[in-house]
Amino acid sequence: MPEKPKIALFQCRWCLYAPADQEWVDTQLPENIHLTKTPCTGRINPLYVLNAVQGGADGVMISGCLPEQCHFKTGNMAARRQLEEFNDFLDYIGYDKQRVRFVWLDLQDRGIIQKQLAAFEQELDDLGPASNLVTRVKVAEGGQNA
Amino acid sequence: MPDLNAIRTEAKRLLAEGVVDVVVAFKAGETPLHPQPAFFRSADEVDQLVYDGLCQNNLATFLTRVPKQSKVGMVVRGCENRSVNALVVEKQKNRADLFLIGVPCEGILDWQKIVGEVGETVKSVKENGQNLMIETKAGYQLLERHDFLHESCKRCIHPNPMSADILIGEALQEGDPNLARTAVETFEDQTIEDRYAWFQKEAERCIRCYACRQACPMCYCEECFVDHIEPRWSESGATPAGMQGWHIVRAFHQTGRCTSCGACERACPMDIKMTYLTEKLNHDMREKYNFEPGLDAQTQPPFAAVTLDDKNRFSV
Amino acid sequence: MNLILEKQALQDLLQSWRQNYDVYLPQKLERFSHFMPLTETSVLVTDEPHNTRIPPKSLFLPMTEALVKFTRYGGYEDARHEIQPRIVFGIRPCDAQAVQLLDTSFIQDEYTDPLWLERREKTITIGLGCHEPCLNGFCTTVGYGPFNKADLDAILTDMGDVYLVETFSQAGDACFQGLPVAAEETYQEALAVQHSAHDQMPVAFETENLKEKLEQNFKNNYWDEVSQSCLGCGVCTFLCPTCFCFDIVDETQRRERVRNWDSCMFRTYSLEASGHNPRPSRVERTRQRISHKFVYWLDQVNQIGCTGCGRCVRYCPVGLDIRSMLRQAHSLPFEVSHAI
Repeated sequence: MPEKPKIALFQCRWCLYAPADQEWVDTQLPENIHLTKTPCTGRINPLYVLNAVQGGADGVMISGCLPEQCHFKTGNMAARRQLEEFNDFLDYIGYDKQRVRFVWLDLQDRGIIQKQLAAFEQELDDLGPASNLVTRVKVAEGGQNA
Repeated sequence: MPDLNAIRTEAKRLLAEGVVDVVVAFKAGETPLHPQPAFFRSADEVDQLVYDGLCQNNLATFLTRVPKQSKVGMVVRGCENRSVNALVVEKQKNRADLFLIGVPCEGILDWQKIVGEVGETVKSVKENGQNLMIETKAGYQLLERHDFLHESCKRCIHPNPMSADILIGEALQEGDPNLARTAVETFEDQTIEDRYAWFQKEAERCIRCYACRQACPMCYCEECFVDHIEPRWSESGATPAGMQGWHIVRAFHQTGRCTSCGACERACPMDIKMTYLTEKLNHDMREKYNFEPGLDAQTQPPFAAVTLDDKNRFSV
Repeated sequence: MNLILEKQALQDLLQSWRQNYDVYLPQKLERFSHFMPLTETSVLVTDEPHNTRIPPKSLFLPMTEALVKFTRYGGYEDARHEIQPRIVFGIRPCDAQAVQLLDTSFIQDEYTDPLWLERREKTITIGLGCHEPCLNGFCTTVGYGPFNKADLDAILTDMGDVYLVETFSQAGDACFQGLPVAAEETYQEALAVQHSAHDQMPVAFETENLKEKLEQNFKNNYWDEVSQSCLGCGVCTFLCPTCFCFDIVDETQRRERVRNWDSCMFRTYSLEASGHNPRPSRVERTRQRISHKFVYWLDQVNQIGCTGCGRCVRYCPVGLDIRSMLRQAHSLPFEVSHAI
């Protein structure tokens, strides 16, 4: 069986309002998904995303709240500006834009995250494993800096 | 070329009248190719002040390094003026404590290009309008000035200082914004593999000397993310992950703050091209938020000016 | 032995060495030359009147080198990889001298760095003298010269169509086996080239009493003056052939312990765990860099720790020049200390 794409999931701890959804994410995530919970999407430093990318994530999913529903008023707006730009920037230097996915959840939503993850996984499957910018695993040996 | 005597006269006046404590400008270096940033604290030192196309540093870098209370006079070109503005926006210096002597800039010369063309033995470099007269051991050589500019200077949009307290020399024609745009768009038109190959080729020549960071006026953090030990944000050595990570994050921290002066690229001892990264970010800021860093000393950069008005840009 | 090597025959000779050795030689990379492994298509750069940008110390002390790889359950294994015998061709005399200076720090009776030692033992260095002295260098001022022979197995002198090869060791002899022996006249001509190159190098600064002057003026304002335009980057130290500071870091995510180049011009270099920094500003750091080369080296091994390659002069982003700094230092006041 081919390996499933590795997904780094950054989740705002307020965005899954339904306890069942949150519990699913906390306890039943498939093994190929690595969860990082943050207090707000605004807390997601682009460095976190870069670390995931360099460490070999085939895709990065960021889930947060809709505008005006942020627990901290504008954290998600700040995140949106930064991470959207970071995504464009990574695309510019070679990490496909489609490998980063934003999911903005309404507090009324139920059972969305599972579907989104499944769909994302499907798309990543089609894209194949990421190779650009995946550098952490490689050791510098020889080369011009040796 | 602005009149050197006029700059000196103004600098002398500032120091003699006590308007400022220090004038930051350039003085002649050991060789004609390397003028050196200099700090003039009394009027009689000012005779050593020089200014020419080979002054390659962004003097605004030193603004965050002089004592916070001191009043500073500075010779600024277009890019340096923008950097000063951006620093004022970020409250690193009071505009009232600054006196800017503005000089319109015709572009900074790349000494390596000159040396590559005429050889090592450069004795003097004279700028005369669009020409360069270079004296070497072998004799004189006349060169076209534009060919020896830094790439970032060829794309310069605002060569004139916009908020200088005094402008010395005639204001020049504004640059063509399309040049900067085309540079980014041409790069974007390549395939994703080619873009990555280019980025990899450039970034992995890095020796992690951080000259780009130190030369940048906007890199004034007390502790840089690469210097953090716990948590360690990026690999510390000259490994692919470390080198790429450094270039990505260094550039990204300049989003909406980079004034396209190109000082990073000029400082790099390994000739790594870096402005194509920051140009992309500047390009996006222009397109998305209609913002250009440093044009005035009030407007906050997009990442700092977050409002709920943005919500229409959310698409799920 | 003195031999004659036709310039046309050089490429074939280099290729023939590849059978038994890894050959490193300066090749074009972007706008500069860099020591890179020889391949079939490599083009040797010899016409640059200055050094490669990265000093060849990087061949002995790589910028980043894994020492140990951690395994599970608290174990670890050696991460070093095997080093093939190699020839470094086209190394300039100042850089070769620098490598020899570094031996004093890496190879000692009590502590020897095995990685450095292994690379040193397996390397044959073949120098290329500077018949056209570089403008930024000042090798004669610090006591060496454009045809300094220290640490070289052989040195080449450019004489138009041919090179005169002087070999100083068995390994050097073996590399140039079968070449015609140079006539005495040719050798004398080569010596004349060498002397004229030596004489063309100006004296950049006085070294007499320089150590005492720097020592005694430890707290002089001079240091504030010379360091005020310093950016605090690592160009001068990373490109210096005699700077050898390194930092050992555990890269936890890669599960490796690595050794990286470090620079005394960085804030974090002397930062202590308590948060105290004994060298808090660029003034102290500049003083450390200059004093290390011109005072502490002399204290420790009685040699100036600078070979005058001129890289720090040439590539400093703000045009700081160690020559004018030391000229200025020479005019500092000092008292002659009378040894008892």
